[in-house]
Amino acid sequence: MAGVVRSHDRRPASADDKVGRRRLLAWLSSVGLAGSALLAAVSDVIFFKPRVTYGQPAIFQIGKPDDFPPGTRIAREAERICIVREGNRVAAISTTCTHLGCSVGISDTGFACPCHGSRYDQDGNVTGGPAPKPLPWFKVTLAPNGEIEVDKNSTVDPGSYLNV
Amino acid sequence: MNTPTVEKPESKLTALRELPANVWHSIFRNPLPSTDHERASTSFTNFFLHIHPVKVHRNTLRPLYTMGLGLMTTFLFLILVVTGILLMFYYVPSTTQAYDRMLDMRGTVAFGIFLRNMHRWSAHGMVGVAFLHLCRVFFTGAYKKPREFNWVIGVILLLVTLFMSFTGYLLPWDQLAFWAITVGTSIAGYAPLIGKQMQFVLLGDTSVGQEALLRFYVLHVAVLPAVMVLLMAIHFWRIRKDGGLSRPEQTALPEPVPAAGVVKIRKVYGLQGFVRGPFTKVGNTPDDTVYSWPNLLMAELFVFVLTVSIILVISLFFAAPLEQPVNIMHPPNPAKAPWYFLGLQEMVSYSAFWGGIGVPGLMVALLFLVPYMDRGTKGVGRWFAKERLLANTIFLAMVILNVIFIIIGTFFRGPNWTFVTPF
Repeated sequence: MAGVVRSHDRRPASADDKVGRRRLLAWLSSVGLAGSALLAAVSDVIFFKPRVTYGQPAIFQIGKPDDFPPGTRIAREAERICIVREGNRVAAISTTCTHLGCSVGISDTGFACPCHGSRYDQDGNVTGGPAPKPLPWFKVTLAPNGEIEVDKNSTVDPGSYLNV
Repeated sequence: MNTPTVEKPESKLTALRELPANVWHSIFRNPLPSTDHERASTSFTNFFLHIHPVKVHRNTLRPLYTMGLGLMTTFLFLILVVTGILLMFYYVPSTTQAYDRMLDMRGTVAFGIFLRNMHRWSAHGMVGVAFLHLCRVFFTGAYKKPREFNWVIGVILLLVTLFMSFTGYLLPWDQLAFWAITVGTSIAGYAPLIGKQMQFVLLGDTSVGQEALLRFYVLHVAVLPAVMVLLMAIHFWRIRKDGGLSRPEQTALPEPVPAAGVVKIRKVYGLQGFVRGPFTKVGNTPDDTVYSWPNLLMAELFVFVLTVSIILVISLFFAAPLEQPVNIMHPPNPAKAPWYFLGLQEMVSYSAFWGGIGVPGLMVALLFLVPYMDRGTKGVGRWFAKERLLANTIFLAMVILNVIFIIIGTFFRGPNWTFVTPF
């Protein structure tokens, strides 16, 4: 086999050692190219995932506790939360439907979603419709300036109130 | 011929006199063809026409075989590109300006409302006709060997078409747009493992807003059209390389010339002779083909004129919908996606994961795998062939199921997605 030289083969017949080197180089180049392609794909994902968002901030202040009289449930639609005040206790419940992200409205029995008919009770537990999870409760603190601060990045157990 | 020296003094004048004709002939290589040879060279020497084969099989031209659905999809895409580019001159992808620009399109931009109507109805039409084209290919068994991969590309093209339509849906920035995209991207969020990340990258934020509008705009006017054009080019190229459109078995191969006792003729390979494939005609064997010019071109022209006319008439009489500007505090009740996603939305109302990801994903996977699972070779090239009764029945059942879900979602769902009757 080694001695056979085809007419179009310009390699010297004794260059079997070069074939090994060529194959190694070809293999290394292929790995390099494939690796570069993979890196490019990963950097695409990194590029498209924004590091800054320009929409609604996740941590914001909503006003003094006195703005929410005891016994009220006030929906703040721009921030998509519902502020619940019971006596001296305050909580913030999400009004974004856990089904497909529509805004749920306040109903007689709790919350109701207009998009696909999910229903929740006063505490955000699912009572009907396709919603898979209860409405989350967000962390509420009292800021040094006396305003209520809501942090939509951290959820708390349902039923956790802030005493004011 | 042999008196150039005599005419030499006049040659400059001759060049001037012949200038128009010379320019014309330098651009158009052929006169209007009157012989078969000229018909052939018209097809392959013209940049715009050389996408066609020189000759096509008669079956390809039967109106009731293809119904021109693939062509119609292409022409609708062409209308969408032209009207879309024109609309881009007046549109701004900004949450504060987009809706006003839509109103301006109605009020002040010359032909604005007409262009928007054409764009909207062509988009709906393209989704519908592309789906019918898929049905045609299935019911005629045209996805079978050697056309398996072109079917796969076709399915990808349908998905890209749907994504194009979905991204365009947000751009008017009205209530319909905002809530349909809110619901649609939330469905993406149900995908296992990467769902939430995917939704975040798609929207550029945690909810639909300025970032989402910009991202959808760039996808809609640059990224997806480029992908679409590339895939369309491969789709068309492969039609040629896979031996033209599918046709019944008995016409697939030309009758062999009886060779017994005949001196073997040295084969003459034309350009087509180098094309591999089961249907390539090599040498002078009888066939059932006609020249593309004028037969195929007239058929294409007919479909083109028909498509444009239908869109023009619809756009004259029906205005594209534009609802109230976005109000993130009040979702419309019910909030409905575009009609071709209403089957999906109906399924989603039972279970977000299964309706939005599981069942549709399974159906798309089945579509991709069809040519690799159904390996029979019988019944290609005929509508509803008896040999394909099982495959056609299963496919028809799936189509009907989807249509039923779309009809329920469109007409039988009222406020809070409760069941209502449309009458």
